[in-house]
Amino acid sequence: MKYQSFVGLEIHIHLRSRTKAFCSCPAHFGDEPNTNVCPVCMGYPGVLPALNEEALAMAYRTAHALGCTLERESFFERKSYFYPDMPKNYQISQFARPVGRGGAFEFELGGGAKTLRLRECHFEEDAGKMIHAGEKSLLDFNRAGCPLLEIVTEPELSSGTEAEAMLRSLRRLVRHLGVCDGNMEEGSLRCDANVSVNTEGAGLGTKVEVKNMNSFRFVREAIEFEIERQTKALDEGERIWQETRLWNENHGATATMRRKESSHDYRFFPEPDLPAFAASDEYLAGIASAAIASPLARKRALLALGIPNERADSIVEERGLAELFDAALAAGAEAAATATFMESDIRARVNRFGLSQVIERLDGPGLAAIVQGLAAGEIGAGVARAALDAAVVEGKDPRKHLEEASRSRIADYPAIEAIARSAVAAERDSADAFLAGNAKALSRVMGAAMRASKGMADPRALEAAIRKEIGS
Amino acid sequence: MSHLPPWGGILVGARLEAYSRVLEERERGLGAFLELDPRNPVRALDKDGKAATGALAGLPFAVKDNIAVEGMGLSCGSRILDGFRSPYSATCVRRLLEAGAACIGKTNLDEFGMGSSSENSAYKPSLNPWDRDRVPGGSSGGSAAAVAAGMVPFALGTDTGGSVRQPAAFCGLYGLKPTYGAVSRFGLVAYASSLETAGVMARTVDLAQAVFVAMAGRDPRDRTSVDAPGEEAADRRAHTGGAAGPLAGSRIAVPSGSLLGLEPGVERGFRNAIDALRDAGAEVVDIELPSLAHVVPAYYVIATAEASANLARFTGISYGARMAGAESHEELVLKTRSAGFGDEVKLRILLGTYVLRSGFQYRYYHKAQKLRSLIAGELAAAALGVDAIASPVFPTQAFRRGDPAMDPFMQKLADRFTCAANLAGLPALAMPSTLEGGLPTGIQLMGRAFGEDRLFAIARVLADHIPPAAPPLYSEECPA
Ligand SMILES: [Zn+2]
Repeated sequence: MKYQSFVGLEIHIHLRSRTKAFCSCPAHFGDEPNTNVCPVCMGYPGVLPALNEEALAMAYRTAHALGCTLERESFFERKSYFYPDMPKNYQISQFARPVGRGGAFEFELGGGAKTLRLRECHFEEDAGKMIHAGEKSLLDFNRAGCPLLEIVTEPELSSGTEAEAMLRSLRRLVRHLGVCDGNMEEGSLRCDANVSVNTEGAGLGTKVEVKNMNSFRFVREAIEFEIERQTKALDEGERIWQETRLWNENHGATATMRRKESSHDYRFFPEPDLPAFAASDEYLAGIASAAIASPLARKRALLALGIPNERADSIVEERGLAELFDAALAAGAEAAATATFMESDIRARVNRFGLSQVIERLDGPGLAAIVQGLAAGEIGAGVARAALDAAVVEGKDPRKHLEEASRSRIADYPAIEAIARSAVAAERDSADAFLAGNAKALSRVMGAAMRASKGMADPRALEAAIRKEIGS
Repeated sequence: MSHLPPWGGILVGARLEAYSRVLEERERGLGAFLELDPRNPVRALDKDGKAATGALAGLPFAVKDNIAVEGMGLSCGSRILDGFRSPYSATCVRRLLEAGAACIGKTNLDEFGMGSSSENSAYKPSLNPWDRDRVPGGSSGGSAAAVAAGMVPFALGTDTGGSVRQPAAFCGLYGLKPTYGAVSRFGLVAYASSLETAGVMARTVDLAQAVFVAMAGRDPRDRTSVDAPGEEAADRRAHTGGAAGPLAGSRIAVPSGSLLGLEPGVERGFRNAIDALRDAGAEVVDIELPSLAHVVPAYYVIATAEASANLARFTGISYGARMAGAESHEELVLKTRSAGFGDEVKLRILLGTYVLRSGFQYRYYHKAQKLRSLIAGELAAAALGVDAIASPVFPTQAFRRGDPAMDPFMQKLADRFTCAANLAGLPALAMPSTLEGGLPTGIQLMGRAFGEDRLFAIARVLADHIPPAAPPLYSEECPA
């Protein structure tokens, strides 16, 4: 029998607003438990929610980037269920009028791309966190009331690999939008999956919800496992229960959490404490004007410039790097050389000093000057790195550094000859190897000579002097 | 407008001692308070530690125990919040403190505001200062008893379906339910969020108005609150009066059917008030308000639906009373709520849960919302055409303890005049009419949105014709 699998995702994005969705507590992860709380997010008697419009605007911007139809009169509803980490025992969410409906998300898959249709995006508040410690259960309400955007997709993915690819692309998008840091391990990006398998052409099968997948890999593995499990069950004529299953990363398997014969009744009704949010033409125009180039569009542009796939990925991964790349090109740098320099030298400094320091201190013209100097052979890799560090570490304009370097450059031929002579003497083996036909060996001699000149020798003059000294 | 004499300085020195003794004695007789401490009032201090000076400087007041006052209890008349101390103050309370008033205690109520006799408190009943065999009304009965007995010049209540106005009528007071949104709800423990407001009870029109003015205005912590829009000049026309009487040119509408099912005393009181308004020059006109027939069912569906979610937070997990011996979260919630809530509260939670079930919402909740729109539209239009809509407050005078003289169904139907104002979000002021059989009667005037001032102006004229009376035992203006 031939089967078809259907996977839909419910993705929660923790919106990076400064404060929580309905109170003024910091929306910050990783602090001491129960320090970012107040009577409002603790659900004390008598308190009322006050909408954080910064967070809602992030939701609108994300929905816009996903091509959703934006709601002009978005309102909030109470979703009732009792859970220990939910202070009010209802969640302020959206139901009839979510921020966005429809839409589609195009993501990279293998060498190509796939478009996944979306059902809706809605704004809601997060619950707290329950920690089980032996006999006790502990509650941390720091996360309670933090703003979330839930994205619900159509069940139009067919495998765990596709789901992982979709999520990775989505992560890149929300990071470019600046609305979420996309960290699955810390829970700022969360994903549940609906998985069903059926005979080909027969439509959706019995829906199984899979939860507790807190990494991209686990999402892929859990969905693959679930598809295989259901396929096997169908083969053997077993019943597939409509249920919620949890991924157990230690066993590499999903297991039943609860069977729902009848679905839970959340008794949605409009939140009387919050007026509807009217998104005016002006407001929506503001959302549209804040739109950014999608990471996928940026990557395609890089590929079209002939930049290899992985190098393009490393640039597009961060919006700041992609913008730096564009700015360098605009300042006259050549694409391939810029990409190469970014993947090696700039990436290393991002890792060491952080992205924000690098992009704050290095601008497009500065980067272009370095890359152009390298390409023209006016400076060596050492001077290029020194210019980069002058910018990133000292906050100095790299062009100024290059100017100074050129002024103190050793162009005096007798001095260069002397440096070449002692370098060849010190690297005699490499010089001999070069004479014997090993072209790479020359670079070791060059390196020694450059170091001896503290990077100040004119690289072309130095190479000529070395070749002469070796006698090639 | 000063309210200082004779209350000014009552919280100081020898007068405070005398005042405290009187309060203790009256409290023993009436059971108005759940917490009372005139020697340690909650008040606002300025940077230099001096008491705030404002329109209400030096006035003691009491607050219904479902409104938050920092450092005081907030039991809502329920076991489930036994021992809970509020870490913050309601905005309306904060504004009164900033105007110089001092909170001396929290008053008794029907549990979570559900009831109309104050007998439905988990702690104790409160008694009516006019006749201690009778109830003070509810749910803000403790506040009404405290004001009627002269223990405080004014008190706060909450009004979800008449809970300020009905006890005001039972105790011979002015009781205002403001326009929905005029006074912040931040700090009111919610029963039915879209219906209720904080309200004030006082013995005089001037004080009731001064308290309302001090509380009113937009609050960023209540997104449903608003500033009153500026009244249009054209609306002021009717306020002027003339040779034919202070209410000349005013129109007061009486809905047909207003007199149906009233006790004789209530009917006499109502007719006396209407006659007095007519004598003052008002034109009294009949009006048809057919949507009033739908008020009570719409009200109960919406109120219980909202209550079922509002009261879900009380589980004893992070605050309030927690029952011992539970092995799981589910059991803890079940035990705490079973023991913590009284029967009336449980009944309303069950009803609200039922009407919100998926598949039943169209039959109940959505239908009730449609009726509400119909009622609100009809009442708003009617209120714009006249100066006020007059009706009885409640079909009976203060009834005997343990005996509402109506079955529970009749009791709920009795709320139609008060609940109409909550469904429509319009202001309504209960004011005293004549005493009948030695007990107060009242009349309700409902106005247009944010038309509180007009209602107070009419009340002032009525007070000139029918001066409000105080209970014989507590007739002095100030107790010490
Ligand atoms: Zn908070």
